[in-house]
Amino acid sequence: MSAVENRPVDGGPPVKPVRGRGPSLVTRLLESRRLGWGGLALALAAPLVIATPYALNVMTSAAIFVMLAVGLNIVVGYCGLLDLGYAAFFAVGAYTSGVLATELGLPLLATVPIVVVVTVLAGIVIGAPTLRLRSDYLAIVTLGFGEIIRICANNLEITGGPSGIYGIPGLWGDALGPAGFYYATVLIVALAVLLAARLGRSRLGRAWRFVREDEDAAEAMGVHTYKVKLAAYIGGAIWGGLAGVLFAAQLSAISPASFTFLWSALVLMAVVLGGMGSTPGVVIGAIVISLAPELLRGLADYRFFVFGVLLIMVMIVRPQGLWPHRSRETPHTAARSGEAAE
Amino acid sequence: MKPMRTVLGAVLALSAVTVSAGCGQGLLGGDSDKDKGPILLGMDIPLSGGSAEIGPYMKNGAQLAIDEVNGKGGVLGGRKLELRAEDDACDPKTATAAATKLVSAGVKVSVGGYCSGATLPTLAIFDRAKIPMIIPVANSTELYAQRLKHVFMINGTGDQQAAAAAKWLAKDGGTKVAVMHDNTSYSKDIAVRTAAELDKPGAPDKTAVEAVNPGESDYSAAVTTVLKGRPDYIYWTGYYAEGGLLVRQFRQAGYKGKFLVGDGSVDAKLAKIAGGQNGEGVYATMTPTPQTLQGAESWIASYKQKFGADPGPYSTQSYDAVRLAAEAIKKADSTDGGKIADALRGLDGFQLFSGPLKFTQQQTITGGFEIQVVKNGSFVLQEKVQ
Repeated sequence: MSAVENRPVDGGPPVKPVRGRGPSLVTRLLESRRLGWGGLALALAAPLVIATPYALNVMTSAAIFVMLAVGLNIVVGYCGLLDLGYAAFFAVGAYTSGVLATELGLPLLATVPIVVVVTVLAGIVIGAPTLRLRSDYLAIVTLGFGEIIRICANNLEITGGPSGIYGIPGLWGDALGPAGFYYATVLIVALAVLLAARLGRSRLGRAWRFVREDEDAAEAMGVHTYKVKLAAYIGGAIWGGLAGVLFAAQLSAISPASFTFLWSALVLMAVVLGGMGSTPGVVIGAIVISLAPELLRGLADYRFFVFGVLLIMVMIVRPQGLWPHRSRETPHTAARSGEAAE
Repeated sequence: MKPMRTVLGAVLALSAVTVSAGCGQGLLGGDSDKDKGPILLGMDIPLSGGSAEIGPYMKNGAQLAIDEVNGKGGVLGGRKLELRAEDDACDPKTATAAATKLVSAGVKVSVGGYCSGATLPTLAIFDRAKIPMIIPVANSTELYAQRLKHVFMINGTGDQQAAAAAKWLAKDGGTKVAVMHDNTSYSKDIAVRTAAELDKPGAPDKTAVEAVNPGESDYSAAVTTVLKGRPDYIYWTGYYAEGGLLVRQFRQAGYKGKFLVGDGSVDAKLAKIAGGQNGEGVYATMTPTPQTLQGAESWIASYKQKFGADPGPYSTQSYDAVRLAAEAIKKADSTDGGKIADALRGLDGFQLFSGPLKFTQQQTITGGFEIQVVKNGSFVLQEKVQ
């Protein structure tokens, strides 16, 4: 699904050195930088196999969900800030583009720069006061902000109140069919995933991981933790907002019912299920979380029951996530730093 | 390396499933011929989530009509009808997935739609596929505001309900009316329209328009605010769960006036939740239900015999939607969406539970609201509003 390189974070030697021989074929395959291209090729080839409107809709939703999960991964996975109100940024993006497109008649693509500005502002407004808090308190405040945004959308005139906005044009007007929209979405999402992965390996990304592991130590080493955390928050906000634009284009109608706490929880679940901080993991987690309820439709009434049981089973069998992030350390440094890395 | 192998195996299995399931449905595959066998009718209804209890009522109502039509030999020279119900969970995203699934399955007419918010994004999907929608329940004004050629609504609309409510409030001696809603699309629509009716000269005074958040259990803050205006009539336009709680909490707070509730609150559970005698005498604006219709006893009996349960709210509308679809297919003598829509527009006097049908300019039905009242714990007819 994504163009991701799964290269060592700090360019160190490969993990899990097995005495006597190098990393196995599977490991090398999974850590290959071509893996992302493979995923992208798979995503692009999927409509050749199945292209019913339903399949395209489900796959497009999954791609958008991947973008959301990758965005939240910046906040939760890289920087370790528990955000329970991520749907707020998603809503800000969707509503901003929706309102601009329907009220001012702008094409949806033209709203993207404005959406970026607005979501950055939202990230700062929400992040600046709350990021002084830590752990549980941060989670509670973000939860509150998520609800505030939704209830605002429910009560404001400009957002259409509870019935929301309808008649939002497609990405290029209506020129794109469902298949075209799917391809456009996949390419945009692939780019977003690539950028997020690169960001995670940058200087800023290393600072994020440092803050996640030990905020006080990071501060002591000269990392401006507040700025760094705010940057993570803003990054997450932009990704979420742009996913919101795609969402608005796909649904053509948005209402506050789409941005409930359940959404924030599901995106967080995708990040945790896939493996926090690991880009391929998060992509797979998002695909699983968004496809599973649709694939289970045949079970009718038992759909969400089975979905829940499956999730619990994954948590039991793979508590570290489907595809966890691996820290690159030699056995020597690993022994020195104890179990702090994971 | 075991976990890696598991992941790889899962990926392989998944792709194998996709390939085998999707044979011939790809972009490069040809269109399969779907014009043989049964004619599919699609239904987007809530089968999970907060409104899940309504889904089966609607599904059973529709199934009853389908069995009747098929029992009489089907349509178009013996082709049977078949119902495809999909869960929309009252959620816009799930609803669009469900709608595209129905379109992919090749349904010819859509006879679903309960929550207005979830139905709204599905309009474009069905419209693009030129599939006529006969919406049995959802009735927010946004649904017909887009004037889509393929969208028909057979439930009374928000402004019709508001007009019926205002008429009844004046007639029943209301002088100071408080309007309350739950901030959902449907409920707020009726509340705002009722408030507008009350602002007209000669209508009862409006003391407040107050919103509550659905799903809470303590509404004392809203109750206190509303009672400050000293209303003698309270019109609640939301659903029965909150409605019952509100009735109870207003009575506990010493409110002596009357209640009127909207059609979403018409369920025997309202009186149960209100508790004791609190629910007795609560009025409701409602479209006719089998229980209040003359001559519907046999219909109720056959429903009970078939499904082993009483019909509920909107069973009749769903039943009517399917009959209407069958009639239109017969009249059009085709399963072509455009022709079916034309046939629907041309119908005049087709008998529904709500009366003879003739679609308005907006492709909605005319009037059809009545006033019901709670007697001995269940809603019975008070009077027709014309």
